[in-house]
Amino acid sequence: MRQVSLSLLVLLLLFESTSLYADQTAFEPVSKRSPVARALLIGIGRTNQLDTYLSPMGYRGMQLSFMSQSERMTHLCNRQISFQSTFYGAYTSTENPANTAKNIGGRLAYDAGWHYHYSPLSSLDLKGGALVGADLGFLYNNRNGNNPAQGHFSADISLSAGASYFFRLWKIPMQVGYQADLPMIGLMFSPEFGESYYEISQNGVGHDIIFAHPGNALSFRQILTVDVRLKRIALRIGYLFDARQSQVRSLKYHDVSHSFMIGFVRHFQLMRIKREE
Amino acid sequence: MKREEFAPMRRTMKYIRAITLLLIAMLTSCQQSDYDFDDTPQGNLDALWTLIDQRYCFLSYKEELLGFKWSEIHAKYSAKLNQNMSRVQLFEVLCQMVSELKDGHVNISTSLDLGRNWSWKEDYPENLDTELREQYLGTDYHIGSGLKYTILPDNTAYVVYESFSNTIGEGNLSDMLAYLRLCKGMILDIRGNGGGELTNVERLSQRFTNEKVLVGYMCHKTGKGHDDFSEPKAEYISPSSSVRWQKPVVVLVNRSCYSAANTFVRNMKVMPLVTVMGDWTGGGSGLPFSSELPIGWGVRFSASPSYDAEMQHIEFGIKPDVFSSLNESLAAQGKDSMIEKARQMINGE
Repeated sequence: MRQVSLSLLVLLLLFESTSLYADQTAFEPVSKRSPVARALLIGIGRTNQLDTYLSPMGYRGMQLSFMSQSERMTHLCNRQISFQSTFYGAYTSTENPANTAKNIGGRLAYDAGWHYHYSPLSSLDLKGGALVGADLGFLYNNRNGNNPAQGHFSADISLSAGASYFFRLWKIPMQVGYQADLPMIGLMFSPEFGESYYEISQNGVGHDIIFAHPGNALSFRQILTVDVRLKRIALRIGYLFDARQSQVRSLKYHDVSHSFMIGFVRHFQLMRIKREE
Repeated sequence: MKREEFAPMRRTMKYIRAITLLLIAMLTSCQQSDYDFDDTPQGNLDALWTLIDQRYCFLSYKEELLGFKWSEIHAKYSAKLNQNMSRVQLFEVLCQMVSELKDGHVNISTSLDLGRNWSWKEDYPENLDTELREQYLGTDYHIGSGLKYTILPDNTAYVVYESFSNTIGEGNLSDMLAYLRLCKGMILDIRGNGGGELTNVERLSQRFTNEKVLVGYMCHKTGKGHDDFSEPKAEYISPSSSVRWQKPVVVLVNRSCYSAANTFVRNMKVMPLVTVMGDWTGGGSGLPFSSELPIGWGVRFSASPSYDAEMQHIEFGIKPDVFSSLNESLAAQGKDSMIEKARQMINGE
């Protein structure tokens, strides 16, 4: 518990020290008065992995993750379009059902894109758009000999949709947010069914880059968050569901995780500083 | 709030519900392994049988050569199972089943034991006396990473390479060849070398050719069918840009030359000025992969076959150019008959 508190404190200090903006405004939808919202979250959860290049068995274990997300309104379409960028990282440690082998995994992902906002009610903000992203990761099995690890790479375009609802509870401003991202087309790396590292190096990695779409690589990410306004910032807690999967070249892969996320959100007003003549 | 103000929200909520249901439906189709076997004796046997059936690369070749049917193997060994058998008994049955493949690259690894079939070397004379070999090396031999070398009294270079797992650098090879440059020829003794890294095989082979040579082919499984293979890809050895050996070479081999050592012999067979001497090599031409069983035991199996330059299998070994064996009576006199025969060949006797 003490470690968690310490982590949160470090996160808060880091978050405060990296702020390059000024003039914090009211706790409002990003599409209204607060043109920039930045969130920094850490998470802990469970993950379920399958990579038949390494093993036909499913592995289960824990996941530690972090997410840094910023969203700002642009001047496009009468300030109805926002730009969002998300940097996500995860570390996983999982075991086979018999607990005789372990997988260690790591993943870094970045995506950015635009959402069109629509507010049917003053307290409700809906958005829909597209993201362009890349995902790089690995999975290492501590027992395998000639195929000890598998690299994962994908670059894709996703459809994205979300909603935010603003309300007050015990006079405290709060916000419930939801966003779902669904990759639609892209490229991904996958060796062939029995292709060895030696052959991959001989054939070149380009030989193993293939077209990805929901029919062969159905992946999905959704996050549900609750923001509670504190004095200068908002506390954010959330649930992140992340599923990456593929079925190509007779190989199956999935990495499905459920994480509890916690962190802070800060809303900013970008200021233009006029230089004095 | 007026009723009409809720209308857009209701409509929106309807869309959100529909999208949520669609996403839930999509997520329930999460990829599952085809390998859904219980951790029971039968489940583990089924899992091992399926793994070999789908991923082992020599099944058709060995069914024809060794005269078994993999489809019949399942019933044969399932009959040996019972629900109350111990882990040791299950291990024995599973090892017997995969021993039908006669493949040193097929192993079952457990905390109890390593399941193996080493008949490729255990059923034949060893043709190696390591103490005798050390006498030829003496005490002042050079060590260049995994290479041990010296110059014999008749000015023949004698090089011992015991494992391709011992990494050799370009610098090691250049220094060794420079040191041995005035010798009449070289005996490269790889008896007992059970394999290792293919990069070391390639690096060493490159020192024995002045031109790019075709040494063999390699392919891999592309699907679960017994004959689902990629197009064989030609393997070439290009000459090293550094020091290269230009004199006769005798490669001494025995039945323990396996896996990467077998590949090295395949490469050297097509090099000029090279004679392979000794017994057949042990074979092991399938690049292995790892997998596992529901009980948690590791399984290793051959996944990618390689062939010689004539596209022939070398899984059961390579025939030497000159047969030679260790003479026990000469060994008792401190002489290794295989090294002596190689010296005579280099000296033109």
